[in-house]
Amino acid sequence: MEKKANSNENKEVEGFPFIKGENIDLCPRNSKLVKTYIRWKNNPRVRKFSRNVFPSTVEEQKKGIEETGEGLRDHISLDVWYKKDQKPIGQIALSRIDWINGWANTSLQIGEPDYWNKDIGTEATKLLIEYAFNELNLNKLHGGFAIDNISSWSVAEKVGFKQEGVRRDAIYVDGRYVDNKIYLLMKEDWLTRKKD
Amino acid sequence: MNDSKKDNNPTFLEGNLINLCPLNIENANLYTKWSNDPGIRKYSRNIIPWSIDEVKKWCEAKEERVKKEIAFEIWHRKDNKPIGSAGFSDINWLNHNANLFVEIGESEYWGQDIGPETSRLLIDYGFEELNFHKIYIRIFSPNKQSLRVAEKIGFKFEGTLKEHAYIDGDFVDELRFAIFKKNWLNSKK
Repeated sequence: MEKKANSNENKEVEGFPFIKGENIDLCPRNSKLVKTYIRWKNNPRVRKFSRNVFPSTVEEQKKGIEETGEGLRDHISLDVWYKKDQKPIGQIALSRIDWINGWANTSLQIGEPDYWNKDIGTEATKLLIEYAFNELNLNKLHGGFAIDNISSWSVAEKVGFKQEGVRRDAIYVDGRYVDNKIYLLMKEDWLTRKKD
Repeated sequence: MNDSKKDNNPTFLEGNLINLCPLNIENANLYTKWSNDPGIRKYSRNIIPWSIDEVKKWCEAKEERVKKEIAFEIWHRKDNKPIGSAGFSDINWLNHNANLFVEIGESEYWGQDIGPETSRLLIDYGFEELNFHKIYIRIFSPNKQSLRVAEKIGFKFEGTLKEHAYIDGDFVDELRFAIFKKNWLNSKK
């Protein structure tokens, strides 16, 4: 049986919004939430397409939060908080940020399956895009999704990502190789789209 | 929601509306809220999310022998609670100068003359206790409110760093304002 959050989980934890949206806020990670993070990361349904093929421990998650280090980082991860229920339900990130060439990889994981298919991914992605272009001054964003991961690449298409190509048999999921759809969003196109 | 107790937060610099108190790790949740808040962080250039774990680390005793930064809590005297942070960063002890910063984290306290009062307390402290020669501030051109405050306090415009920061989708100018010890002490006479 899938392990669900008990109703008191994280009742005492505050979100500290970094980016404010309509139904969700994006908040910094918090070492008080590591138990929640590992519940998401280890859940077979959740990790299927996010390629967490190794078990995730509390210690590893803690280390990940502590290891922010000096200087400019190449990875920015934010928790998605569902405002109405006042709780974290997933994570969204810019990874492999290349400050010289102005691009980053985007990834999203809604860790609580109860919140799937509620258009939360779309709102979170839009907030992240706005941040990446308007605050970080990046020029383009990448995303890669297994061809079976329809809900994720649909979100990408909905917000304006264009398919750049397909990496054939690039991901091994559930006993077989599947294609990876590669998506791209240019800042220029995003700004034009916003004007329309 | 604020359980800060005045007893464990001694006053370091005393003002009228506010006092400046040492940072208090027990208020790390407030500092985290302020530094991440989109409305607050816009002109203080926090463009990277700051976790409460990092904020706590910032509050911990530093190993450095000479301080590069001195930070305070802005304590509202009447309401008896912290409402922001302020201090000096980029302190250069050889050239006797430093960057002054003020951040009112609780927006309901904006426009109540707390920024100018905080700045004046810090300027007195910088010149009379720390022996600074010059104190400067960096303001981004769209931040009209801070420009008014700077001039009100007596800062003089020094120069413009053109298109120095990327804010809200545009490169904007950074304006530098400074105040010197001799002028400050004279103006107080």
